[in-house]
Amino acid sequence: MKPAAFDYVRAGSVEETVSVLAEAAGDAKILAGGQSLVPMMALRLARPTVLVDINRIPDLDAVRRTDGAVEVGALVRHRDLTDQTEHPLLAEAARWIGHTAIRTRGTVAGSIAHADPAAELPVVALATGATATVIGPRGTRIVAADDLFVGPLMTTLADEDLVTAVRFPLPSRWGFAEFARRHGDFALVTAVTAELDDAVRIVLGGIGPVPRRATAAEAVLAAGGTAGDAADAAAQEIDPTGDLHGSAAFRRAIAAEMVRRALAGAGIGQGRA
Amino acid sequence: MTDTLGTSVRRKEDRRLVTGRGRFVGDLTLPRMRHVAFLRSAHAHARLRNVDASAARAAGFRVFTGADFAAVSMRAVSGLPSYVETDQPVLAHDKVCFAGEPIAVVVAADRYLAEDGLELIDVDYDPLPVTVCAWNPPAAPVHPQAPDNVLLERTFTAGSVENALTDSHLVFKRELITNRHSAQPLECRAGVALWDDAIDRLTYWNATQVPHVMRNMLAELLGLREGQVRVIAPDVGGGFGVKSVIYPEDVTLCLMARALPGIPLKWVEDRSEHLLAAAHARDHRYLLQAAFAADGTLLALDADVTCNVGAYSVYPWTAGLEPLMAGGLLTGPYKLANYRCTVRGVATNTAPAGPYRGVSRPATVFAMEAVFDEAAARLDIDPAELRRRNAIAPDDIPYTMPSRLVDDSGHYLECLQMALDAVGYEELRAEQRRRRAAGEPPMGIGMALYNELTGLGRAASAGPRMPFRTGHDACTVRMNPDGRATVISGVSSQGQGLETTVAQIVADALGIGYDDVEVRLGDTDEALWGFGAFSSRQSVIGGGAAHLAAGVVRDKVLALAAELIEANVEDLRIEAGQVYVAGEPKPSISLAEVARVAYLESNRLPEGFEPGLESTRFYDPIRGAFAAGAQVAAVEVDTATGALSILNYVCVEDAGRVLHPRIVEGQICGAIAQGLGGALYEHLVYDDAGNLAGGTLLDYLMPTSAEVPDLVIDHIARPAANPLGVRGVGEGGTLGPYAVLAGAVRDALGVPISSLPVSPATVWQDLQS
Repeated sequence: MKPAAFDYVRAGSVEETVSVLAEAAGDAKILAGGQSLVPMMALRLARPTVLVDINRIPDLDAVRRTDGAVEVGALVRHRDLTDQTEHPLLAEAARWIGHTAIRTRGTVAGSIAHADPAAELPVVALATGATATVIGPRGTRIVAADDLFVGPLMTTLADEDLVTAVRFPLPSRWGFAEFARRHGDFALVTAVTAELDDAVRIVLGGIGPVPRRATAAEAVLAAGGTAGDAADAAAQEIDPTGDLHGSAAFRRAIAAEMVRRALAGAGIGQGRA
Repeated sequence: MTDTLGTSVRRKEDRRLVTGRGRFVGDLTLPRMRHVAFLRSAHAHARLRNVDASAARAAGFRVFTGADFAAVSMRAVSGLPSYVETDQPVLAHDKVCFAGEPIAVVVAADRYLAEDGLELIDVDYDPLPVTVCAWNPPAAPVHPQAPDNVLLERTFTAGSVENALTDSHLVFKRELITNRHSAQPLECRAGVALWDDAIDRLTYWNATQVPHVMRNMLAELLGLREGQVRVIAPDVGGGFGVKSVIYPEDVTLCLMARALPGIPLKWVEDRSEHLLAAAHARDHRYLLQAAFAADGTLLALDADVTCNVGAYSVYPWTAGLEPLMAGGLLTGPYKLANYRCTVRGVATNTAPAGPYRGVSRPATVFAMEAVFDEAAARLDIDPAELRRRNAIAPDDIPYTMPSRLVDDSGHYLECLQMALDAVGYEELRAEQRRRRAAGEPPMGIGMALYNELTGLGRAASAGPRMPFRTGHDACTVRMNPDGRATVISGVSSQGQGLETTVAQIVADALGIGYDDVEVRLGDTDEALWGFGAFSSRQSVIGGGAAHLAAGVVRDKVLALAAELIEANVEDLRIEAGQVYVAGEPKPSISLAEVARVAYLESNRLPEGFEPGLESTRFYDPIRGAFAAGAQVAAVEVDTATGALSILNYVCVEDAGRVLHPRIVEGQICGAIAQGLGGALYEHLVYDDAGNLAGGTLLDYLMPTSAEVPDLVIDHIARPAANPLGVRGVGEGGTLGPYAVLAGAVRDALGVPISSLPVSPATVWQDLQS
């Protein structure tokens, strides 16, 4: 359980990071918190030839309240989210991530770029309509969470891209519910609901290759349905698979319950408008 | 004062362990040291057509393969009539029998490079049919000596079950399956082997629970004189049985060291290897048929127990380890006249099963308590009351169990009553009824009684008929010239605090301060003999030896003091390092002065006194000391998700005389946590091809502090018939949780729990029916 040999570059700037990534032509990985990457390297499931350490790049560690949103830099740790009060949904979600040591090192942007289908923050990103600031060889662009996740551990980001910040809009109402075998485990199901500009999004994690909007459930709510109706709709529109921790039917039932609980937490669809 | 025995005195080992200065095998650095990595089988069952290490060797790696050590094999021996002896290679050569079995080893400057070397070895496998489940028909023999894969089968009988099973008021069957899991100590296995060819000696630093057994068996397997082998167990980070095995990796390391004289070879197992290849346990099936009278008396139990012993008969404990323990202890603390229990150990293409804290009894208690829960439901008798009607009581002692083990305890109902009182049993029952009526989340109460067989002497350890009896340990107590003591004990410690308890025992027996006793453990060049840490034996046996040896030294000190001060030895006593004459308030002579005379002033030594103050004594309790225990818990079930919340958890145990309350409670808490892990989380799952699913702690779920509820622990103290009055306490906590938690869920849902672990998914499934 030791990594294969790799080169290590301590990047001093975003530009240097991008140029090292580009030079490596897909064989480099960014080291931020390392909480997913390093174990995968130890198991030799990931074998980058170059590791670009961005931890010393200045000015990437801020949590900023902007107009109607909270923007976090590439080096903001999960722990920084639990400690802030500007974005209560992010604070709640971050509490469910791993354990203290993991939250202290793991980064928000790293979690989103890593795109684990059972991780919390990609679900929150999709639910809040978050946007990532991405810098690559051809400059800066903004990528919406809606356009980011394409499969397990797969995003639309290119190998030479660095996510420098993620902007999470502040929902007017929100709810978070998660079911895991143990505290700190990757979720069997995470449900996040967020109300932004009077539109309610419901997003599920852990039930497929990518976080998924429960659009049928959202439509039920938009049509005046109850949280229970929406939860049932959500359970029907997903296509979970069974694994060591339970059957597909079990996961579907848990998904419905988590949607119900997230909506209850948000005070949405509770019968009295 | 010197009265530290029975108090939670500060543990001697904690300063170094808590401040990160413990010295584990992993910390050991020696000149010229090299690191090794094992290539492990990717197949569960396959012929090895070829192991090609030429590329690795061409790249400069030293590689050993099975062909290098084909002459050495490990054969666990037992004299039991039905036992089939089989061989375990140290590195597989003809074929591999489980995924993870070591095939080759790479030696390199560090572990990273060694793992690079592994990637250069090419193994040509010819897959064979794979058997994973021990109670399905075998796909192919694992060993040619056992075509049906049955390595051992034995039937325990007492009375006659036939009549009771046909005539009784209540007869029912249950099938119960327990989940394969393992101990997972914080420190995985580790060893450093060094052959010094200047003196023809092997030194093996090893994270082992059994240094002397390791020495004895390494000498035999390597063809060395026992005096040529030194085994050192430095600080060891948890064992729980998994480190009481002599593994092929141990023997391979030492064989390689002989081939590379002067070069220390270090192997520190990683967690993936540990999950794959360190001893697994508890993969059992229990087919039970029970007969009860209308008043709830258990009349007969007919059982068929199959234990999946994995690919090899675990060395040196044999494939009989789990089956024999299951058959011998299944009836636990319950009175029973008519018993028939056939147990068998069946080889499969899975990792070998070995000792794990509680050996079989977490499963047997689960099985037995499931029988009582079933009977209680069918007879409509309160489950606690049903147990009262069947448990062995103090008046029954000595009670010969149907397996002919002799119970010396009988304090089960006292433990149960205390546990029921502590948990508030009647109030919980009322709350349960209220919830049912109100349609609130269901709540259930589970309970278990158990008898932990501890401190097995030569008679009690004879069952497996191995070519050794583990009934005794030695201890040397040496009073130094300054009147303080050095103790060289044969016990071994993996964190249980043996340095502390041995020091307490010796300080108490000698009459000197706890701080004036230094204890040395774990080095076979120092201690005369100890079988090591297993079967909750060390405080009884090693502690007994320490007590006896210290007593001999005390007697000599007093005899010498009597001569020196011209007093009657009967009038003397030792207190806080001073010798007092009866009736005199001031001490007459210090131990330091007596000891100085013994070593340095032979001019003052009385006639007939040999210099020195030292004694080495063995102790063997002959039988064992049963430790009674009861656990009761209440759980709440979330009907939407199947999630369980443990509302209360109470354990009451009899540790006999408690030597160190905090250590005892630590043992119980840790054991319950491991039991809870087995009941609710931990599951080593093989697919049909014999691949271990998951293989990291991401999938093998162990309980953390967030999952273990606050535990209420209480004691009764009924001294056992041994020098210190102690009963072992290392394993008892693990015996209850499977039964308690499964019983509580059954009680909540009204659905019998037939297999473990109980998970949200299984509870949810039960709720759908």
